[in-house]
Amino acid sequence: MFSVRWHKLIGDVRAEAGRAAVMIVAIAVSLVAVGAVLGAYAILTREIAVNYLGTRPASATLELSNGVDAALLQELRQGSIVSEAEARDVILARARVGDEWRPLLLFVVDDFDDLRLNTFRRESGAFPPPEGTMLIERTAVGMLAAAEGDAVLVKTPSGSPVSVRISGLVHDPGLAPAWQEREGYGYVTRATLARLGEAPVLHELRIEARDRPRDIASAERAALEIAGWLGARGHRVHEIRVPPPAEHPHQRQMTTVLILMLAFSGLALVLSATLVATSLAAMLARQVREIGVMKTVGARTSQLVAMYVVLLLAVGAVSLVLAVPLAVVGARFFSSAAATMLNLTLTCSTLPWWVFATQVAAGLVVPVVVGSIPIARATRMTVRETIDQYGVSPDTVRARFAALPMPLRNVLRRPARLGLTLGLLAAGGAMFMTAINVSASWEKNLAKIGETRFYDLEVRFRAAEPATVAARVARVPGVTHVEAWGYSPSAIARPGQIDVVRTYPDRGHGSLIMLAPPPRTTLVRFPLRSGRWLVPGDSGAVVLNHSAAAQVPNARLGDRVTLSLDGAPTSWVLSGIVEEIGSPAVAYVDTESFSRAAGTGTGARMLRLATSARSAGERIAILRRVEDALAEAGASVEAGIPLAELRTAIGDHIVILIRSLLAMAAIMAIVGALGLASTMGSSVVERTREFGILSTLGATPKRLKRLVLAESFFIAGPSYALAWVLSVPLTALVDGLVGNLGFLAALPLVLSHTAALEWLVVVMTVSFFATLVPATRAGALTVHDALARL
Amino acid sequence: MSNIDRNARLVDLRNVTRTFPTEQGGFTAVDRVDFSIEAGEFVAIVGKSGSGKSTLVNLVAGIDRPTAGTVQVAGVRLDTLGESDLAAWRGRTVGVVFQFFQLLPTLTILENVMLPMDFCGTLPRREARARALELLDLVGVADQASKIPSALSGGQQQRAAIARALANDPPLIVADEPTGNLDSHTAGAVLELLGRLTRTGKTVLMVTHERDMSQTIDRTVTIVDGKIAGETAGGPEAAATEVVAHV
Repeated sequence: MFSVRWHKLIGDVRAEAGRAAVMIVAIAVSLVAVGAVLGAYAILTREIAVNYLGTRPASATLELSNGVDAALLQELRQGSIVSEAEARDVILARARVGDEWRPLLLFVVDDFDDLRLNTFRRESGAFPPPEGTMLIERTAVGMLAAAEGDAVLVKTPSGSPVSVRISGLVHDPGLAPAWQEREGYGYVTRATLARLGEAPVLHELRIEARDRPRDIASAERAALEIAGWLGARGHRVHEIRVPPPAEHPHQRQMTTVLILMLAFSGLALVLSATLVATSLAAMLARQVREIGVMKTVGARTSQLVAMYVVLLLAVGAVSLVLAVPLAVVGARFFSSAAATMLNLTLTCSTLPWWVFATQVAAGLVVPVVVGSIPIARATRMTVRETIDQYGVSPDTVRARFAALPMPLRNVLRRPARLGLTLGLLAAGGAMFMTAINVSASWEKNLAKIGETRFYDLEVRFRAAEPATVAARVARVPGVTHVEAWGYSPSAIARPGQIDVVRTYPDRGHGSLIMLAPPPRTTLVRFPLRSGRWLVPGDSGAVVLNHSAAAQVPNARLGDRVTLSLDGAPTSWVLSGIVEEIGSPAVAYVDTESFSRAAGTGTGARMLRLATSARSAGERIAILRRVEDALAEAGASVEAGIPLAELRTAIGDHIVILIRSLLAMAAIMAIVGALGLASTMGSSVVERTREFGILSTLGATPKRLKRLVLAESFFIAGPSYALAWVLSVPLTALVDGLVGNLGFLAALPLVLSHTAALEWLVVVMTVSFFATLVPATRAGALTVHDALARL
Repeated sequence: MSNIDRNARLVDLRNVTRTFPTEQGGFTAVDRVDFSIEAGEFVAIVGKSGSGKSTLVNLVAGIDRPTAGTVQVAGVRLDTLGESDLAAWRGRTVGVVFQFFQLLPTLTILENVMLPMDFCGTLPRREARARALELLDLVGVADQASKIPSALSGGQQQRAAIARALANDPPLIVADEPTGNLDSHTAGAVLELLGRLTRTGKTVLMVTHERDMSQTIDRTVTIVDGKIAGETAGGPEAAATEVVAHV
């Protein structure tokens, strides 16, 4: 049975049910955010290990010029230089989808029944795929607009279009989702590859280094060692591809998103706890006399402190009861969405104990820590101090404020509480606006893709085609401008070493290409970070985009940069660095120098076209006409890509971050609005007796209402200004974080008018209604009733 | 009930001064007062508003601390106690009755009376409840025990407040204008109740404006400008005559 003091506490909570509800909701909302993010982190960390690491990712892929034969494979497997080896090949083919050809990565597997590295799992259909058929990755169904049993027209670089039936689906957790990369993933046997017109040779030697390197530098060293071993046995290795060890291709993005979300939700919790502290302070302010009475009848300070700490613990406990189940739902929802982004299959959605423990600790400890300040202040007052308070707030206004209008003087009566309220609102508002600003920054960054590129279509050839193809394409209806560009995969070359590219088996992440635009190209115009863009006759000069520059961090303008072209080192003078959003690492060189270095003569490896198309459909139609014209000219097209695909691919990569930020903005809005409502409400309720006095002096209810509304706007206004000011550096910070994550460049700073307006509406609406209700109630009290209040 | 030696000094103030800091400088509410009360006495403090009466009783109850001098109550020098020990001491030694009753609004009358016993751990809950009911019966409001304070009249609330003051069986009852918020009929009944307490061995120190109390008051102390201006045997009516003469 409860002792009397606990009955008192329960009675207090009943009497202040609204305030208690605000405290509980504020803490619960934050705990849901904290729990959901932590839970998602726990689930994803575990599932990435189960899914991605479960595929036994190769620590390196070595590209052997003459292919990997069975004898070499056997020697490697039996020897001690690697712990596992497998031969594979990856062909960039094309698949016909409706009117367009889409990129299709064909993974060629030697033995589907003996997958050792970069394994994948059958989802449905025939496994291994019968000859003449292919398996596709489950996320490629949409990209290829085809399902199991359907036939797809496939064209490999050396072959003619062949209809290939999809014999089943696989799940390959080592690959980013196909819809994100805007390409299809197919799996075929060597026999099928031969049917498609390619030599059935597997050029990739995938290996797992003996010591399982933990970082990319060690992985590179191990791969180079093996390349040396192979070289000594007459096997020429012309490229090595090393992915970051044990790291999913999109793991960095996901980790950053989760850390960002955790930071936001942690701040939301601190804000909520501050809200609890201000609410408690208001509650204690009304109970000052009761505290005095309790002390008079024998209550020790420690007993009173214990009472209010228990109150906070109860608030935390009730919040936890509400928050934990919702956090579990949130964690599962978030991890499920993230799993879709990472191409994972969630094998288990159970949350580990430490997620609950952290939530419980946060829910119970944080409010008590923050609430300890008002508790200490209220319970340490002497009895005389408490009984000296007569209901009219004892807080005095400093003499220098005497000339200010009355509502403003009232606001300044409690500087500490005013500071806390302003801080709470400003932080909530700043985070709300930051979330929306970053979202707008992201959109602006995506828009840069179109603002710096003035072509609609890109066509790549398997080998250099005669310059006349450009003229031919220029005559295709709808094409307004054509430029022939040099193009070649490349790598930062190190003297005496084989090229090492830090990329995944899909070759899309971390690669470097060399492009040679014609002099005075009109199809791209990238902003310069340093140096200058290429000029006609710029022999031996290279301009790196910022992603490429990041691969040679010590290079300065005028330095020599060595880039390999087809395994051969070529030397260039660094003339400039440009910012290029939405592109892999690119080295731009002048056409003549490229032709010499790559040995392509006057031929073109790539065409970039501007068109008159006004819609995606028109663009596809023009692309088809272009491809037909090129086919007639006998050109071997490797890929034809609308620029819009690039924007879609990048947008899809980070959509989860933007949605998460907006969810956080909503949470901040809730916490901020609750804080404002609570503070405004308290400020009015506490002064009921004062209003009674004002009434006796002739103040009408309307006048009183106007007074408190003016006060509320004197708090809301500065808090809004402060929030906006705070949101600027905060937005810049998050822009930097997110931009560097996605593009190695900070997002452009955008201060969204929508965000500013939305927060203004929230702040003004909430302060109006939060004040109006208690002000109306106070105004409606008779003078007698008002004076009877404490 | 406590066993008090009626000839022992229960309250002893020596050269006590209490000065409050104000923007205009220090304001001395109690000025070098020597004052004592013997156990079982019913002492009234009278004086004009602002004369220092409430400050004096607050010093006696350990609600306030002197700027100079010593306050000893029931053998304990209050300056030797910290705030928490002072609270516990007060809970057991002094029953305080306020002008505005100060019953906790969210507790029932019964719980209000049980509260001091709860804080001081005087009695187990069941026994505390029985004692609280007994005290409420003593002051005549046992039938209101389950109600919350706002449901009671002013007189009933003050009776309940007196019951609360008696909860831990303190030897000293300090009452600051306990009838100031009551009609004359109810005020008389409350004074009668306090007078009865002295007959059971309690010592009562009361600030009052009531004039017609000669039958219940043992001694009346008049305060003027923080100093004891005079003491008379009997109620304030007699003291008033003397104060007028003094002024």
